Amino acid sequence: MVEKKNFRRVDKFIWELPKETRPDMRVPARIFATPEMLDSAFRDRTVEQLVNTTTLPGILKYALAMPDFHEGYGFPIGGVAAMDVKTGVISPGGVGYDINCGVRLLASHLEKEEVAPYLRDLTNALYRACPSGVGEPGRIRISGRELDELVVEGVKWALKRGQARPEDLAHTEEEGTLPGADPSKVSARARERGGGQIGSLGAGNHFLEIDVVEEIYDPEVARAFGLRENQIVVQIHCGSRGFGHQICDDYVKSLQTAIQKYGITIPDRELVCAPIDSPEGRAYYGAMACAVNYAFVNRQVLAMGVREAFRDVLQGKVSNFDLYQVYDVAHNIAKFEEHEIDGKRVRVCVHRKGATRAFGPGRPEVPKAYRDVGQPVLVPGSMGTESYVLVGTGRAMEIAFGSTCHGAGRVMSRSQALKKIWGADLKRELEEQGLVIRAGSTKGLAEEAPAAYKDVSQVVEVVHGAGLARKVARLRPLAVIKG
Amino acid sequence: MTPQGFEEIPHTADVALRVWGQDLTELFINAARGLAWLMADPETVHLGKEVALDLRAPDVETLLVTWLGELIYLNERDGVVFTEFDLEEVTPTHLRGTARGGRAGEVRHFVKAATFSGLAIRATERGLETTITFDV
Repeated sequence: MVEKKNFRRVDKFIWELPKETRPDMRVPARIFATPEMLDSAFRDRTVEQLVNTTTLPGILKYALAMPDFHEGYGFPIGGVAAMDVKTGVISPGGVGYDINCGVRLLASHLEKEEVAPYLRDLTNALYRACPSGVGEPGRIRISGRELDELVVEGVKWALKRGQARPEDLAHTEEEGTLPGADPSKVSARARERGGGQIGSLGAGNHFLEIDVVEEIYDPEVARAFGLRENQIVVQIHCGSRGFGHQICDDYVKSLQTAIQKYGITIPDRELVCAPIDSPEGRAYYGAMACAVNYAFVNRQVLAMGVREAFRDVLQGKVSNFDLYQVYDVAHNIAKFEEHEIDGKRVRVCVHRKGATRAFGPGRPEVPKAYRDVGQPVLVPGSMGTESYVLVGTGRAMEIAFGSTCHGAGRVMSRSQALKKIWGADLKRELEEQGLVIRAGSTKGLAEEAPAAYKDVSQVVEVVHGAGLARKVARLRPLAVIKG
Repeated sequence: MTPQGFEEIPHTADVALRVWGQDLTELFINAARGLAWLMADPETVHLGKEVALDLRAPDVETLLVTWLGELIYLNERDGVVFTEFDLEEVTPTHLRGTARGGRAGEVRHFVKAATFSGLAIRATERGLETTITFDV
């Protein structure tokens, strides 16, 4: 059994488990953490799952856990692994069921005081405009060939349908379209599930939030991102809904036979995989890319709902109610990227599961407007607590395949949270702090209570200290909508 | 308190159930009951919907995930929580039977999927046992 003493400290916030620790490890495992955080990695299966990840064929350098790590299934949450495209594998368990779960940040021209008198009306309008909760249909229903077009074109499809602005595309990871989407690799059942859910938040930890920019840490970068103190902004956190869940489910099952065909041994069946350069690997990537594009469109359609709600409530009351897009990031994804490994440029397939791309300045993938400073990274906190806007760094490119954390990371199970926290009490407590809350279920609220998560500020301090990303701004929630 | 046949075990982010039964049929039924318990308060389910299921898979763990996945899909599609099961045949690669359920008065979790994480059906003193992690 792996213990803390097996890890060696390679930097203030980097802990490495040598590959000799377990015979099936192909590379070392690294965890980004304070000493106290590292202790918490042994309270659940984080370390075991990270070590399992190191056993996948073609993995390069090391398997990484970002400081918001916790136990997941297959990879741990916060897990990052880069695979050689020629010898490596692609694994649905390294992406997860909610493919391209991610965050979008919209910024307004308004100050907190201008919105304050209308905050409750605005929250109610957002709740109506952005469907949330179990079984709620989305803002758009489509099927057949149009769904195929949507999943291939991503946000370009939304632009054609009047559901996006050209600048929204420019400020979305991959410009809202991951290449290589192949709808012929998506099952009829995934299509059926996806057709009616475009423009819906779903349940669980997904949310929509109105925030105020509480503090700016880096004025120059904040200016480039269009952020300033006391500004009203909106965060949207959701993914590919039943469409993505079904695609993951289909491929985790169908690839169980592929590992036998290719003679791959895995320590956990959820880590099932196929060579990237194989019919099975290509099929999964083609289907996964469809779900990635679906999720980009989902957040895009919700963003238009948010804009409508702002217009409906604030028109005639404020000078400019418009919202512009700062950025949209994915945090459950596998992508082809070029990274420098041992002095050579190498094309790899980076799996990020509960981790965010955090590319530094100069990378062509970063939107033109941000290329001189680096990519915006959006790190939502738990409900009712602060969120952060960070910027990608050159250091992240060197030590983490240009990746960073995706949130606070859970420390308490849902059932523990339900035992300790009473949803109605929590709602009252948060409302007493001035937060406006619209939630479909008080139990759902309790499960997502701040006490069930790590302190996002501590996670961000590790990220900042390790150089995985730099702090730009802190956001404080004013209103939360949850399913 | 959870009914006999399954119990929740700790998992930081998702939900895990330990499930047991004297034979495969009982194990599969208890796993489905556990899923229903995660989704809703079974006492509040108004029975009214019945579906016939005939599922095949290459091995017993994949059959278990397929069985639970089918119930999760039907839950999302029709809003039905299945609480009663009559399984005529369960072999390691084939399941045939009916599930009965209805809408629930009190919904608990939206379950995204049944995963293969650490999934292995083992023979124990009380028959068969396994642990299933659900993505919620």
